[in-house]
Amino acid sequence: MVSLARKNLLEDIPRFLVAQAGILFAVSLITLQTGIFMGFSQSTVKLINNSSADLWVTSQSLVQLELTLPIPVSELIKARNVSGVARAEGLLFSGAQWYPPQGEMARIRVLGFDPSGQLYRPPEIVEGNLKELHQPYTVMINTTDEDSLNVSETGVEVQMNSLPAKVVGMTEGNSSMISNPFIMTSLKNANAYLNAGRRSQIECQLPQGSSQLQCINKFEEIEEPANAQPSSEPRDLVASDIITFILVKAEPEMELSSLKQKLEKNLTQVTAYTQQELIEKTKTYWQQRTGIGFILGLGALVGVIVGVVVVSQILYSSVADHLKEFGTLKAMGASAGMIYRIIIEQALWMAVLGYLPAMILCFGVAYVINNNQGQLLVISAESAIAIFAVTIIMCIGSAIFAIQKVNRVDPAIVFKA
Amino acid sequence: MLFQSSPQSNFPHAQSASQISICAEHITMFFRSGRQEIPILKELNWETNRGSIALLMGPSGSGKTTFLSILAGLLTPTEGNVYLLGQEITKLSRKKRTAFRRQHIGFIFQNFNLFPALTAAENVEIILNIKGLQGKQARYEAQLLLEQVGLELYGNQKPRDLSGGQKQRVAIARALAGSPPLIMADEPTAALDSQSGHQITELLRRLAKEKGTTVLIVTHDPRIQDIADYITYLEDGRFKPTN
Ligand SMILES: Nc1ncnc2c1ncn2[C@@H]1O[C@H](COP(=O)(O)OP(=O)(O)OP(=O)(O)O)[C@@H](O)[C@H]1O
Ligand SMILES: [Mg+2]
Repeated sequence: MVSLARKNLLEDIPRFLVAQAGILFAVSLITLQTGIFMGFSQSTVKLINNSSADLWVTSQSLVQLELTLPIPVSELIKARNVSGVARAEGLLFSGAQWYPPQGEMARIRVLGFDPSGQLYRPPEIVEGNLKELHQPYTVMINTTDEDSLNVSETGVEVQMNSLPAKVVGMTEGNSSMISNPFIMTSLKNANAYLNAGRRSQIECQLPQGSSQLQCINKFEEIEEPANAQPSSEPRDLVASDIITFILVKAEPEMELSSLKQKLEKNLTQVTAYTQQELIEKTKTYWQQRTGIGFILGLGALVGVIVGVVVVSQILYSSVADHLKEFGTLKAMGASAGMIYRIIIEQALWMAVLGYLPAMILCFGVAYVINNNQGQLLVISAESAIAIFAVTIIMCIGSAIFAIQKVNRVDPAIVFKA
Repeated sequence: MLFQSSPQSNFPHAQSASQISICAEHITMFFRSGRQEIPILKELNWETNRGSIALLMGPSGSGKTTFLSILAGLLTPTEGNVYLLGQEITKLSRKKRTAFRRQHIGFIFQNFNLFPALTAAENVEIILNIKGLQGKQARYEAQLLLEQVGLELYGNQKPRDLSGGQKQRVAIARALAGSPPLIMADEPTAALDSQSGHQITELLRRLAKEKGTTVLIVTHDPRIQDIADYITYLEDGRFKPTN
């Protein structure tokens, strides 16, 4: 069949370009809004994704990755002795203050891990060497956080909480859109920065009339002079020090669900999460329990609605402009099906020709933004496909709306001047 | 000249049905205007034979286009029946009427109603497509039809590059697509200068005679009277006898 749809579209090029610009705008809006939403969601769990641990063990009180209570190192030692555990490493994770030599101080999140461990690694080290974190009071920062931390190169010495810190390396792909910058350091260093003056112990008692021993973790503050200059190197962690997570690698044959149960039984007041469970819990928290998740979700929804309205308008007015042609086709015997096909074909052309440049544009924008700001915008292959589907549905939906107009046209219109 | 006086009895008669191409019985049409129902056509009876050229004339607003639309099955009359080629089309569903038009009726309009985005050849081709001819065959047939109206060299032109007379010839080629036994034209020469008008009239006459097509032309144009087998005058929704 002669493609009336395509030829009608291309007949008036300026008009066509304006219409396509509208669709491009709508598709870009959806892509960027959902991209920001996904970038945000992913940034909340980036830390989890950077770990190769099978299980994350933490306090029963965990709400999401960054909101949990500490557990004592003694639990880490216990975990290593649980059969089925191939490896267990501690992760210490808490907020602190950052005082650069020049410029304003900043709120940061210190992440302490074992630099020679296997279960957590910074995603990409672009400057420096992981081994250097074994040195006392050394840290690594993210390149994209240089501005907010007022540090632009390695070798700079700053103060973190009450202790000095030397920037010995730079990483990439570890920044977060919603939270404070990550500072990476060794577990030992982190312990010195974060836990100076805090200690924990497990207290157990036998309640009256019960044969079950009940234990709780207790933390206490020890009086220490503030702003203490480090007299020596950070000490090794002892059983009463506290950490935030125990990262667990299971033995190859071990079933994760049973290992989870075992860990929860053998350790005190902990819950074990698989990587996926912790990701879900954290994402859900940010998406559903915080205003930012709601706002970004709303933005994405508004993007879709504006897209539908813009596309409907364009397609509807295009069909209205050609109404007499559709009337002529109907008079000459074109069946309803043939006319639907023409309108839907036009909608599909508009969808495809609006989608492609919009995607190129959005990938370009994402590339530029992500290079400068960290992973703010995520357009995955899945979301690109989903947005294509949304674009098609949007255009077909508008086409159905436009078809109503053709259906209602008075067939005698063909004789009207 | 044939006037309205068709038999009042049950149509179609076995004998006349083969001869009669278009037959309208007791056509009455009201249009609603606000709360009022305005009668436009009043109890019209009309018929024409196969292969003849019939003219419907009358002043502006007399109801000619309305009557034509009813005969073509584009409008449903308030009352009355229309038989085309022996088939009562007023009884058919919308879908079947569309299919009937596809198979049996070619249309010509005062303002040509060409598709501006398509070339002359494509304008013809798309109608052939609708009628079931596709691809190369349709392109070839479109070329033949353009030859019949003397436009074989203009197939690649868009309507905006053609003169009024040429446009109407493309429209005639399009109306001839699929060789329908009926052609209905509303003021086919009204938008043309007198020379093109004359050419178009002549073309319609020749084609009707060569192919045995029944042609119904609604017109103001007295020049067309020469080619007509029958002329009917419509005034105020009624047929008017003349000399
Ligand atoms: N859809 C409609 N609704 C209401 N009134 C209508 C409608 N179509 C036509 N009419 C009225 O019916 C009358 C006859 O119209 P019609 O177009 O059939 O006249 P015509 O003889 O073809 O006139 P012209 O020579 O100007 O084309 C006119 O008064 C017109 O206003
Ligand atoms: Mg008229």
